[in-house]
Amino acid sequence: MKRLLGVALGILTAIGGFVDIGDLVTNAVVGSRFGMSLVWVVVVGVVGICLFANMSGRVAAASGRATFEVIRERLGARAGLANLSASFLINLMTVTAEIGGVALALQLASSVHYLLWIPVAALAVWLVVWRIKFSIMENVTGLLGLTLIVFAVALFLLKPDWGNLAGQALAPAVPAEETATTYWYYAIALFGAAMTPYEVFFFSSGAVEEGWSIKDLVQSRINVLVGFPLGGLLSVAIAGCAAVVLLPAGIAVTSLSQVILPVAEGAGKVGLAFVLVGLVAATFGAALETTLSSGYTLAQFFGWSWGKFRRPAQAARFHLAMIICLFVGLAVLATGVDPVLVTEYSVVFSAIALPLTYLPILIVANDPQYMGGHVNGRPVNVLAMAYLVVILVASLAAIPLMIVTGAGS
Amino acid sequence: MLRRPALTGPATDLPRRKPHRWGVLAAGLALAVLSGCSGTGSTISTAVEDSTSAIATARLALSLDSAGKLTRAATSTALDDALKELATSRNSVLKLSPASEGDRQSVQEALSVLDGCAAAMTTARDAVAGGERAPSLSDGGQQLSEAADRLSQLGAKDGGK
Repeated sequence: MKRLLGVALGILTAIGGFVDIGDLVTNAVVGSRFGMSLVWVVVVGVVGICLFANMSGRVAAASGRATFEVIRERLGARAGLANLSASFLINLMTVTAEIGGVALALQLASSVHYLLWIPVAALAVWLVVWRIKFSIMENVTGLLGLTLIVFAVALFLLKPDWGNLAGQALAPAVPAEETATTYWYYAIALFGAAMTPYEVFFFSSGAVEEGWSIKDLVQSRINVLVGFPLGGLLSVAIAGCAAVVLLPAGIAVTSLSQVILPVAEGAGKVGLAFVLVGLVAATFGAALETTLSSGYTLAQFFGWSWGKFRRPAQAARFHLAMIICLFVGLAVLATGVDPVLVTEYSVVFSAIALPLTYLPILIVANDPQYMGGHVNGRPVNVLAMAYLVVILVASLAAIPLMIVTGAGS
Repeated sequence: MLRRPALTGPATDLPRRKPHRWGVLAAGLALAVLSGCSGTGSTISTAVEDSTSAIATARLALSLDSAGKLTRAATSTALDDALKELATSRNSVLKLSPASEGDRQSVQEALSVLDGCAAAMTTARDAVAGGERAPSLSDGGQQLSEAADRLSQLGAKDGGK
């Protein structure tokens, strides 16, 4: 019974923790401009993140070490540095976007300007990272993030033409008002949002924090293979709400305040209360994960003592690195840069950095020295290779498309 | 969203090399992209599109507020964001340097419509903020509706050019 509850909790937190500011903004932007015609990208992204998160969880469980630590050892300092540079910079951008997201969500709840909430959000992130147990942190934010299911509820309450929505999703086409280049630019952004690198580093480092071993592999697999696709459905619901309410009204999403309007229309103030709690929980949870991931990647590369399972004094450089990252994020946001814009760029840069993140994971997951009998099977390798091709194409196309489309404008 | 500054800079007297075919192609492409993005017509057109979206957001937020489906905090945040979007559009038009009389007229006309939109948005925001002499929500809605019509006419005119 206890084991069953553990599995259920793992799935629920995986669903609630799946959506972050990148998913919220990108799905709403895409829904408001392209309807459901980019849902296929969410499907491709969710399958990809399931594949690689499962792989990195297996690396952590089989070797007892975090993926990044193994990459550094297996591939050497130079390859590790390339991996670190790409992942860390994207992480830093994502930390900034998530803290900005928390502040924007709190502004929606209070009407106090988001710039005033930014130091509060950063301080809260630091306090939780410093003081709260890993499992409590993960479970509370994950469970509260589940309130974002209100997007799916609102979509039903809006009584859309389901046939039309399904038609847009199953026979994707570029809307007349948009260009093909913009369509593909947002396809890459959506792919980057679904496959953000921090998710795999957090997943594998979290596995070490929680002391996973081979016997936990089944639960890890269930969490990923059930939780992430259900989280992906939340992403689709966000795009669906935008497609039903905002697209016909001629509203192209540029702010978080627009993302919640369809929920208010469908589910009123009760729905609004749920969505606001969900926004704060999702962005705050992701801010914690990205802050920790920044510390994890740096500490694992340089061989510092790391982990929340250690007292802060025993992992001083790990904690100091996270504090510095939070200050960098604060400094960037203090310039008045729009957090939504930071989010939009962070998901595209995520897509650019994907090959440097996922190729090393694939190499390590095939090394019997670390994995023993738990190396990738043939079907997993075939699928992973196919994904690497997709990832490489997306990575190479991202910058030219960004220039040609003026960042999707 | 991404506004590119004009490419200006001091001339240098470095020895010139024969441009490579790829270099010429890249320069041509860059020029085409930049000129496509910074022309008077396209800037006004983008500003009208963005402002139409901002006005539509404000109208939706106001109607949800009137129906009791949105809190005042969420409504005022949505209106503030819409006003910011409108200000960005207006600034992009303001920065234009029209080369012909026709372009100058287009810029003037666009600025006049965008100013009207900003006034309507401010009325809506004041209505939401409330207070003794504040306009009513219906006044705000009415002004936003008129602003949307003017934007639509400007858009149609701009599209016809």
